[in-house]
Amino acid sequence: MSQRIESRFARTRACSFALAVTFGLLGAGSAMAETAAETPKAIDKAASTLESLKELDGKAPARRSLNIQSWNTAEGARVLFVEAHELPMFDMRLLFAAGSSQDGANPGIALVTNAMLNEGVKGKNVSAIAEGFEGLGADFANGSYRDMAIASLRSLSAADKREPALKLFAEVVGKPTFPADSLARIKNQLLASFEYQKQNPGKLAGDELFTRLYGDHPYAHPSMGTAKSVAPLTLAQLKAFHAKAYAAGNAVIALVGDLTRAEAEAVASQVSAALPKGPALAQTVAPTEPKPSETHIEFPSKQTHLMLAELGITRGDPDYAALSLGNSILGGGGFGSRLMTEVREKRGLTYGVSSGFTPMQAQGPFMISLQTRAELSENTLKLVKDITRDFLANGPTQKELDDAKRELAGSFPLATASNAAIVGQLGAVGFYNLPLTYLEDFMTQSQSVTVEQIKTVMNKHLDADKLVIVTAGPTVPQKPLPPPTDKPAEQPLGVPEH
Amino acid sequence: MNALARCAAGLLLSTICLPFAASAADPQPTTEFTLDNGLKVVVREDHRAPVVVSQVWYKVGSSYETPGQTGLSHALEHMMFKGSSKAGPGEASLILRDLGAEENAFTSDDYTAYYQVLARDRLAVAFELEADRMATLRLPPEEFAREIEVIKEERRLRTDDKPNAKAYERFKAIAYPASGYHTPTIGWMADLERMKVEELRHWYESWYVPNNATLVVVGDVKPDEVKALAERFFGPVPRRDVPPSKKPLELAEPGLRQITVHVATQMPSLMYGFNVPSLATATDPQSVNALRLISALLDGGYSARIPTRLERGEELVTGASSDYDAYTRGDSLFTISATPNQQKKKTLADAEAGIWRLLDELKTKPPAKEELERVRAQVIAGLVYERDSITSQASTIGELETVGLSWKLIDQELAALQSVTPEDIQKAARTYFTRERLAVAHVLPEEKAQ
Repeated sequence: MSQRIESRFARTRACSFALAVTFGLLGAGSAMAETAAETPKAIDKAASTLESLKELDGKAPARRSLNIQSWNTAEGARVLFVEAHELPMFDMRLLFAAGSSQDGANPGIALVTNAMLNEGVKGKNVSAIAEGFEGLGADFANGSYRDMAIASLRSLSAADKREPALKLFAEVVGKPTFPADSLARIKNQLLASFEYQKQNPGKLAGDELFTRLYGDHPYAHPSMGTAKSVAPLTLAQLKAFHAKAYAAGNAVIALVGDLTRAEAEAVASQVSAALPKGPALAQTVAPTEPKPSETHIEFPSKQTHLMLAELGITRGDPDYAALSLGNSILGGGGFGSRLMTEVREKRGLTYGVSSGFTPMQAQGPFMISLQTRAELSENTLKLVKDITRDFLANGPTQKELDDAKRELAGSFPLATASNAAIVGQLGAVGFYNLPLTYLEDFMTQSQSVTVEQIKTVMNKHLDADKLVIVTAGPTVPQKPLPPPTDKPAEQPLGVPEH
Repeated sequence: MNALARCAAGLLLSTICLPFAASAADPQPTTEFTLDNGLKVVVREDHRAPVVVSQVWYKVGSSYETPGQTGLSHALEHMMFKGSSKAGPGEASLILRDLGAEENAFTSDDYTAYYQVLARDRLAVAFELEADRMATLRLPPEEFAREIEVIKEERRLRTDDKPNAKAYERFKAIAYPASGYHTPTIGWMADLERMKVEELRHWYESWYVPNNATLVVVGDVKPDEVKALAERFFGPVPRRDVPPSKKPLELAEPGLRQITVHVATQMPSLMYGFNVPSLATATDPQSVNALRLISALLDGGYSARIPTRLERGEELVTGASSDYDAYTRGDSLFTISATPNQQKKKTLADAEAGIWRLLDELKTKPPAKEELERVRAQVIAGLVYERDSITSQASTIGELETVGLSWKLIDQELAALQSVTPEDIQKAARTYFTRERLAVAHVLPEEKAQ
């Protein structure tokens, strides 16, 4: 329980070109294009003072080359594999199109099915399974989201560890027994989580936002379901869900580590053969466009949580590279983005503000989120809207775009630096059926994006008048915003004019 | 030379090398040296990808702070991004961002650390910027005036609006009656309200010197090139004496302390903390190794005792955990927290009774051989898995060095845990799990106004 404070704002930028399940980024424009133009980017000024910068040759850095191998198992699971013998270990991740978008009439069933995988297999209860993995030093993990459900294994690669770990993993994922006492316990634990969520205004606002954004689309409800929907789930329903959604034809197997191709093929075959037989499930349908709205949730907190969203894009959208760069400039890149600069750095209104596209199988959200002290919430919301509107109207500057491209190229080596990072990339490429050259393609595309293109695609996908907004916090008398730092006294209090 | 390097030396030996390469405890090539100005540098080579992490760890954190000045270390960390001689406020972040680097910082009881993860050819930029703010931080008052507002937002976000975090802050304040560990790292709100930039300047001048810092570099680099770069950029930063710092020592047996905290929650929960030594303060290191093993037996995995018995077996709790940090500069705390299973009508008293059954069993009954084997297997594998992340390797090295231990302990971890006997465990349990060493927090829903 020792406390460690990441003092600044955790950013999601490492994902900017990545395929991880998490956020993409949205570039944001800053408060004002003119502000951006009159403030030269630091790197130019610093280039004259920093010796080390002058010595850089300006070339894109080297990166670890990935030889992605891919094949299908006899049962129809797609496999993606990268051989990495540097460490005596391997990572395997199975991704099923078995997230909460497949819940149908039973919100929460996907998550509960996933949570029940390691509760029982033939001859072993939950404790025996845990002892099995942990006695080998193997890590089993599972998780369920909107598009996908995941089961993963990390193990030492030595045969005496690898083989028993794989045998147990294959049983857990392919042939779980769904014990009744475990279901009762997991339901209780979920009920406790629902209670716990009631004290979390950010979670309440997020759930409301998805409801407003998606209406009756399968993405609308939270992956955990609700107290009301989880309680009646039956073992028979879970077994039926497992039989269709954890089928080999509905699975992608990502594999990285100290295995030869032949070993990898054997591993994938073994796991695939243990899964139920069956085809891929139908793709999630497209959502309909939501009505713009503004919803407030009354909550006795000190801060007000603000979320602004619209429907974004699918994972395969050809505009993704341009949108991702645009988002990075607007609010995706942490410090230096327009939102962070205007809201935090110049006015001290928030600890963190970010924007991002989450490309999913169907259109995922574009979202801006932040928190600020309650008495400034209304004017902060207005400021954020103005910054977004301005960015859509005027686009980024050439300088901002050049910097964002340089940043992207520079961060590329980090995306494939560890086995954990690579297995995440492989999983997303496989799950969203992207070409094996996706990472390189994304880089190439990004480097040729123009200012005009960003402006065009941002406006194609976003409209400042169509935001779905949810706030959560207390109702208190509102105060004007402090003036921004680089425009002292003569400016009136309040938001910048346009 | 490590086994992998030996293998690379001759392909013909590859089959002979296999057992070596597969050996989990193989140390990675690690070099340490100290610059003339006292900056200690540790370089660990990891050539899997052309990336590198650079971290600077200062020996200062919230346990060094005095009443009325809480939150100084963390606030200074924020202000380290607000300009030095070569970069204006926020500019270093933009430079690093444009180079594709990840950078951040963190503050704890015992340390303040700054890091950059970046392509290997850019390491010099990270060094130049880091060295510049070690020597020439500007601390502009107008920047501080805004940043302290950001810090207050951070406190509201992380603590004031998070009922359990708020309760933990109160709990820590009674769990450490004598040492500076009772201070919350982010600082009390009253102290943030009256913090002055002059205090930060004094804090900076007191502690931010090369002889009070450790530079850790892990990645695709050679020690010689790191040494040359470190000498070039950090070498000119002058050494200066730092104030005497003393290990945060705690009363051995402060007596049973208990608080009840009412917060905005629907879920009652409890926190237990026993005052225990750390590796840096123990007169008998074996007692610390025993506590680490106990922590693994209780909560080292889903097959450990707390999940198996309290969560699944008796279903007393919907969630519970234990934790022991042996790598602190001063005396530590062995903590257990639990949320009673309300659906099963379990109370705080039921959960406490369950916890005491586990603790008392440790005092009398030796653990089963299979249980110990599982812990050993997890430690062996964990040492390999940690090497997949250059950041976690660097953090382990930096933390050990900063709390007054050696990074070499990483490679002795397995041996240390294997040396623990069943008698050691029983002795440690009897010594430390007593009411005289215990602080308890009952975290309850707010009572409705009458």
